[in-house]
Amino acid sequence: MIWFATLALLAGVLVSLSRQINGRLALSTSAMESSFWNHLVGLIFVTLLALAVGGLFAGEPTEAPWWAFVGGPVGVVFIAAGSWLIPRIGAAQTAMLIIAGQMVSGVVLDVAMSAPGEPWVRVIGVALILAGMWVARSGD
Amino acid sequence: MPNSRSAPSIFHFAIAFGTGGLLTLMILFNGTLAVYGSLFFASWVPHLMGTFAALLFLAILRPKRAMAKRPPLWAYLGGVSGGVTVILTSATVNTALALSGTIALGLAGQMIFSLIADAKGLFGLPQRMPSARDLCALALIMSGSLILIFFGGGL
Repeated sequence: MIWFATLALLAGVLVSLSRQINGRLALSTSAMESSFWNHLVGLIFVTLLALAVGGLFAGEPTEAPWWAFVGGPVGVVFIAAGSWLIPRIGAAQTAMLIIAGQMVSGVVLDVAMSAPGEPWVRVIGVALILAGMWVARSGD
Repeated sequence: MPNSRSAPSIFHFAIAFGTGGLLTLMILFNGTLAVYGSLFFASWVPHLMGTFAALLFLAILRPKRAMAKRPPLWAYLGGVSGGVTVILTSATVNTALALSGTIALGLAGQMIFSLIADAKGLFGLPQRMPSARDLCALALIMSGSLILIFFGGGL
């Protein structure tokens, strides 16, 4: 259990590490070029890994709806934005605000898609996040 | 001296918050791929489509290079770190940690390492110390996130 908890924690560390490395690349090149290299190097890595382990096309991948295939271009903007932000507002502010945006938009999407969930929990969670953003912005 | 005043401008603020919204869309799209295909497929397709999309964006935008000097070679390896993340999360999501535990610990790891990196100025990025207000904002956002993750029912 401790072992898996460590792995889950490490996954979060790697998210931050990846954003910092891409941010350093963007400092020398540009945010979009950094995003390009992130995707190309990641593609090579995932391809090699899938070839080694096998099962890349297992299941019914052709049955997936067409819109599920547009995550890539969204990811390009996501990585470019993170690489652009991190030298400007720091790793912690970038991570904190991205998490806030992810959580609030996740609740909006859940409500829009009528996903099950406790309304009061959603209200309290979103209110705490918005309060945190207000604190971060206040006193300028 | 490290820059201790790190409250972002409203412009940076809005971009970072909106970027988090993009992540929700990516989870929806890539997660749907994982329903029909393998976990590798759900990571391979967005990397492939993203590589072509980035080439297209570069051809249209033609951004200037910030420095003539080449960056260190390790700066090109951010994609490997992102690839390993996918493996780790798919390894832990099916244990007793489940999705909520995996997400919560992931957020914790992300914030702890970000704070250390800022304080030390790691990877050639500007050094900055978080202020008391930054930490207060962080505590509020993390507690709201954890409530949503563990009691929200969704995610």
